[in-house]
Amino acid sequence: MAMNPMEQFAIKPIVPLHIGGYDVSFTNQSLLMVLVALAASLFLTLAMSKRSLVPSRTQSMAEMSYEFVANMMQSSTGEDGLRFFPFVFTIFVFVLFSNFFGMIPGSFTVTSQIAVTFSLASLVILTVIVTGFVKHGFGFLKLFVPKAPWYLLILLVPIEVISFLTRPISLSVRLFANMLAGHTMLAVFGGFVVLLGGAGGVLSLLSIAPMALIVAIMLLELLVAFLQAYVFAILTCIYLNEALHLHDSH
Amino acid sequence: MAAQEPEKLRELGKRLDDVQKRNAGRAARPPPTQMGIASRFATELGAALLVGGAFGWGLDWLFGHFGIHTRPLFIVVFFVLGAVAGIRNVMRAASELNAEIAAHPAPSAKDDEEN
Repeated sequence: MAMNPMEQFAIKPIVPLHIGGYDVSFTNQSLLMVLVALAASLFLTLAMSKRSLVPSRTQSMAEMSYEFVANMMQSSTGEDGLRFFPFVFTIFVFVLFSNFFGMIPGSFTVTSQIAVTFSLASLVILTVIVTGFVKHGFGFLKLFVPKAPWYLLILLVPIEVISFLTRPISLSVRLFANMLAGHTMLAVFGGFVVLLGGAGGVLSLLSIAPMALIVAIMLLELLVAFLQAYVFAILTCIYLNEALHLHDSH
Repeated sequence: MAAQEPEKLRELGKRLDDVQKRNAGRAARPPPTQMGIASRFATELGAALLVGGAFGWGLDWLFGHFGIHTRPLFIVVFFVLGAVAGIRNVMRAASELNAEIAAHPAPSAKDDEEN
């Protein structure tokens, strides 16, 4: 039996669809994204439907996630950054739910696809650029001009531009790589359990060891799932803050 | 007895305010894990190299389009610039991390006892 730990990341079409020569099939990826969006909206609306003064457990979970993001934005972007709260909150909840849905055995991790994470990161950077130009006009370009003598600027401006352009890449690669690595590790150790268990004799007993390790990694992955959603959101805030306040906030 | 109730409540309110004030500076953010820090630095550096190289490649392609053969001049120059930008990114990330640790020291055991 051949076991491929990367097989879990394969995109399989559920409803094949071709429009104008493009493959726009409804895939397991699309299905999970729809489920994630539905689950997130349902959870938040249902949890808040009662609006009781003394919150139930589900309501306080919804309130906690709201306050968590609100506090984070307040401390990193300040009051005027809160206009972007819906944007950051949506991204945070979407990434968080995608990561957690991926933890369900047999499901599919949306955020382990670079296409998804890079789309999200591009959306963030485009928002930052548009915000910067709307708020500061061409003064936004001062972001790329550090305080230095002119002959150093010839070197420093390209460096700053490259440094800015790395943001969508590092933002997307970090989330994608974390998810990919974690789930591959789980699949590899899962393979060990099956192989050792099928070996017979004393070796079968040894399969408990990788099994125990899987439990530990699973817990670690739950932490990573939350942490990566948080990191994605906080970096979005930091980049927005720079577009809103340029250099003066430091 | 009944007259003491508001007094008690006010005292409780004051204590709650104290706790809230004490925790105000300490935002509810999880501490960065070792692996998180490592992956952050690695992606910052790697991404900058990638962007630098791609930038140079694009410029070479553009000039080649107009019949000026610069390849591999721009790739080399921008790869180096990308490396510099990457190191700059890592340094900036490190100083952000330092500032965060300085601003939010680990909660001491004393705080927990008081609450």
